[in-house]
Amino acid sequence: MLIAQGLVKRYGGRRALDGFDLEALPGEIVGLIGHNGAGKSTFVEVVTGLVRPDAGTVRVGGVDVLRDRRAARALTGVAPQELSLYASATVRDNLRLFAALAGLRRRAQRLAIDRVAEELQLTGLLGQRAGVISGGQQRRAQAAAALVGGAPLLLLDEPTAGADPETRASLLGAIRRRASDGAAVLYTTHYLPELADLGATIAVARSGRIIARGDRDSLITGLPGELRLRLDAAGAVYLPPSIAGRAQTVDGELRITSTDPPGDLAALLTAGCSPLSVDVRRPDLDDLYSVLALEASRV
Amino acid sequence: MSESVYRIRAVARHNTILLLREPGPLLGRLILPLLFLTLLHPLYQTALVPGSGIGQAVIATLVTFSLLGLSIVSGSILVERMWHTWERVRATAARPAELLAGKAVPVMAAVLLQQVLIIGFGAAAFGLAVPGPPLLALAVLAWTLALLGMGAAIGVLARSLGEMSVIYDVGGMILSSLGGALVPLSAMPAWVRHVAPASPGYWAVSALKDALAGHAPGTLRACAVLAGFAVAFGLLAAVRVGRSAARSTRM
Repeated sequence: MLIAQGLVKRYGGRRALDGFDLEALPGEIVGLIGHNGAGKSTFVEVVTGLVRPDAGTVRVGGVDVLRDRRAARALTGVAPQELSLYASATVRDNLRLFAALAGLRRRAQRLAIDRVAEELQLTGLLGQRAGVISGGQQRRAQAAAALVGGAPLLLLDEPTAGADPETRASLLGAIRRRASDGAAVLYTTHYLPELADLGATIAVARSGRIIARGDRDSLITGLPGELRLRLDAAGAVYLPPSIAGRAQTVDGELRITSTDPPGDLAALLTAGCSPLSVDVRRPDLDDLYSVLALEASRV
Repeated sequence: MSESVYRIRAVARHNTILLLREPGPLLGRLILPLLFLTLLHPLYQTALVPGSGIGQAVIATLVTFSLLGLSIVSGSILVERMWHTWERVRATAARPAELLAGKAVPVMAAVLLQQVLIIGFGAAAFGLAVPGPPLLALAVLAWTLALLGMGAAIGVLARSLGEMSVIYDVGGMILSSLGGALVPLSAMPAWVRHVAPASPGYWAVSALKDALAGHAPGTLRACAVLAGFAVAFGLLAAVRVGRSAARSTRM
């Protein structure tokens, strides 16, 4: 549904996109993550045809975005990062406009608005002005405007930024349903647990390109986890040199960053360490993100 | 109905809703000129050549308040920028021309309604004679298009509602005064008469005066100049939008 290849976008001397490649299949949710400035939002703007890349190609449903923006946009539902609702119009008026611009006629509009309002718990707010509802409700209305047209490609740029847990849960539920209906979803976020909830394929952007893509398990394989040992307060511990540089004490607990917890534990036991308890924390997406942030700060 | 017409209708309907949801400015622009005309009409009748007073009073009211009514046009553009909705609708399948046409329909209707109300009120309440309605309709239409162009330019140039308010309040009064709307140019200093043709208000007054006098060549000439202003301001707005798009490198 979405195929982007070799995208380059320069802003002056800075490359916002630098050989950006990404694909999203029908029914697939692709979680696009990366630190600020990694190129996520620029990529979304290129796919929507609002920004022209300096090089590369993007196809949506087989349509070349650079050659026929309008045809590509007809296949795309967008929720930009920044709230973009008509504040003095009601939520229903906002949804009606975007449904109409997506080509839905009267009855289809009504059905689509009722469906998306129910999915996102907006039914009771349809008659309210978008400018007076809460921030979380505005986030849901913004996402509803992206979903209401029934587009086969959804571009959701940090749709849950600043949202409360209720908003987040209803949004994730609606997105999962759209994906199970066959829509391809590109979802950018900094809230990584959401991607596990969505069962998303993960693409990691850094410095304008995708540096890793795959499912959660394959991406975090090889990342360091943590070995946590609670020790007898009176006992002195000898740490082998291979471990000492990776260890720190937090709240009376010895924490060792480790890609091989069993091996490190064996080395500690051999060195005479006798912990009261041992806990192994497996790496997760937050660790992946931390590693990326660290690498980015070194660039 | 073609897809294009359907989208224009949807945008026009939506913008009509936006206009009606905040009716205060629109009502003010519709009611105030009628009060102004009622209060100042005797003054113009007394000060000017007998019989010409009501015509001058209607033209003064129409030009002055339609310039102040620019806020309706420019406001509809500025709020799209403030709400970040312009980029959002541009990301839909609608063509920019369809979006602009849809936006223009309700604001043009509002500006036309204001002028028709003033002329109708002048005719019904104070006996304004309209010898050639088609000629007057042409003058009103040409002035409306010039107002749309000016409003669009202000809408894209202004950075806030406050800035926009200053532009149309001060600018509107200057343009209408320079144009000879409030006080006939013959009663103004010589330097004002020299610079007056630079003001769109001058050509609006000319078009309306000639139309009310049934003078077709004068009306057509003034309408042509007003159409030129409409195109020039429209281009200015388009170029400004294009430049800001280029800076943000948006398509």
